[in-house]
Amino acid sequence: MSPRVLFGPSKIIAVAILLLLPAAAFAQYSGPPRMDHDSTVPPTPVGPTPTAPDGHPDLTGLWNGLADNLLGVPNQMHNVGIEVGADSTRDIQSGVQIATWPLQNRQRQNNEQNERAATLLRRMGSNRPIYKPQYWQRVKDFDANSNEEDPSNNCMPAGVPRMGVPSYIAQMPGYLIFVYPGQGGLIATATSYRMIPTDGRKHTNLEDLDGTWNGESIGHWEGDTMVIDSIGFNSTSWFDQLGGYFHSENMHVIERLHRDGNTLTWTATIEDPDVLLEPWTTTPRVALLNPDPKAILLESLPCSERDFAHVVTKEHH
Amino acid sequence: MQAGTTNRLFKQALLAAALVAVVFQAARGQGANSKASVVAETAVRAPAAGAADSNASDVAKTLKAAAEALGLARWSGVGGQRLPEVDVINTMEIWGSGTAYAPAASSKPGEPWTAYKTEYHVALGYNPPAMRVEMTRTASGAAAGTARLHTIEVVRDAYAWDESQIGGGLVPGQGTATPAMSAAKARFLQLWILPYGVIKAAVAAGDKTTLSSENGAQVLTFPLAGQLAGVTVKATLDAKLEVAKVETRSDNPAFADLVTETEYSGYADHGEIATDILSPARIVRKQAGHPLLDLQIKTWDANNPYLVFPVPENVKQTAGH
Repeated sequence: MSPRVLFGPSKIIAVAILLLLPAAAFAQYSGPPRMDHDSTVPPTPVGPTPTAPDGHPDLTGLWNGLADNLLGVPNQMHNVGIEVGADSTRDIQSGVQIATWPLQNRQRQNNEQNERAATLLRRMGSNRPIYKPQYWQRVKDFDANSNEEDPSNNCMPAGVPRMGVPSYIAQMPGYLIFVYPGQGGLIATATSYRMIPTDGRKHTNLEDLDGTWNGESIGHWEGDTMVIDSIGFNSTSWFDQLGGYFHSENMHVIERLHRDGNTLTWTATIEDPDVLLEPWTTTPRVALLNPDPKAILLESLPCSERDFAHVVTKEHH
Repeated sequence: MQAGTTNRLFKQALLAAALVAVVFQAARGQGANSKASVVAETAVRAPAAGAADSNASDVAKTLKAAAEALGLARWSGVGGQRLPEVDVINTMEIWGSGTAYAPAASSKPGEPWTAYKTEYHVALGYNPPAMRVEMTRTASGAAAGTARLHTIEVVRDAYAWDESQIGGGLVPGQGTATPAMSAAKARFLQLWILPYGVIKAAVAAGDKTTLSSENGAQVLTFPLAGQLAGVTVKATLDAKLEVAKVETRSDNPAFADLVTETEYSGYADHGEIATDILSPARIVRKQAGHPLLDLQIKTWDANNPYLVFPVPENVKQTAGH
């Protein structure tokens, strides 16, 4: 059965199945892992952008063509805006070109060396939220001690917007379904899903919302861009994959998703005047439609809690 | 085509293929305070005619080896084994103590400068280029007992200012920021003569960077750019290709305070979080023959920590931007 058939006339059935099965059942791209890209430059869009019956772009699809966006150094560098090509590297935010030495004659590294390098590579981008000065030390400490402090460790949700680009989207009349695979490795977060109304409803009063990991999300179209507005968060989660970026319960998140052919560009803008000096927008992340028309989301590995309190070093994800 | 031109193009091609220049261009940087780096912008300019005497590929090989020796050029096998090595260093934080020297207000030429016991705390970044130096100085020797002096000096892009507390002037009621534009050059120099700044700037200088040998040691010589144009850096590498000595020179009398000599020694990973980035344990700096700084490093966090340098509004306004 092709994805088009599966998610065309039978979308409701498909989504019902998705929601009924245990959340942990949805993870992992069925094809071979593609964490080891030879570039972090966003893929060039290919093919037409399909249109939904209402005339808007159809975002439906399995958006893990580059494997899950939170795993692997190439994805993580892409997420922080570092575009690495074969012989050049650029920081998207600042435009700065970064010294690059082509892949040749380099020495093998052991696991510790690889992890230490990965820690640096994931954090070298210039696009950082600007906190009020009284919080600078807290952010730094959270990041430095993330083995113990990361709220998403031990199988807790990543939350919005930290979960990034959904691996699967089903676009239905009046709502969207997003699925996010659980993470293995050091980022041991739980599989999550979101059901996002796009029927024109308004937000619940913030005072009436119980703060949650994903908040209350409502979507609407601005031209060909799906804009998802979220409020009503707990103050537990962090708002980006790395960095110890905490927030208050007054965080307001605006996600933007734009489809161009087989690519989906996602950004999130975070407004939190309680802790930030100014709104901050993530570097655009570009997801690729899974090129395998038969690909499905398979069962994720079970999330296993880790005894981080007894980790004696601070090398971290 | 002229032979000289061919030779120059060949050198450029070799350098480009082996290294790929850092082009410190329009560094817009963090948030609304983004502004192009003046140092960076000028470095983009085309390689000068009359290229270096040394072989460009030798320069490239030496820079790569020096970058790897410091832990600056890195790759990771955590899914990144197919990516090239890149310069991973952006932000760093340093704590140290030692002695700083300054001429007393009443001192005359030739008289020894006053020594201050100094606690030293630095936050720095290369993308965008910025540095915050916090010093607490207590006079020793004849001047002992004078007031304790606490300063926070910041520079970012074209802006320099002094903070009454870390981040002063950004939030009403939380400290002040006093513009200090005339100090920008001297403050930026401190950033670019650190071992990592030397490697980055030497790469950025392209085929203006030359390699020579002095007393068996390899020596890199290159011009700085932007605000620091007119200053030449001579960096001596030790046997492990670590930056052991950095001398700055200028023919411009107005840059007299930018002529310095700095020695780095005792390289090791001094971070609380191991990074395999080597940093010096001791920094000794002289200016015009006078000792300026003798610093013992306690901690050198090189793990790209969260360090930001937003420019206060009053500083921007003073600068006319």
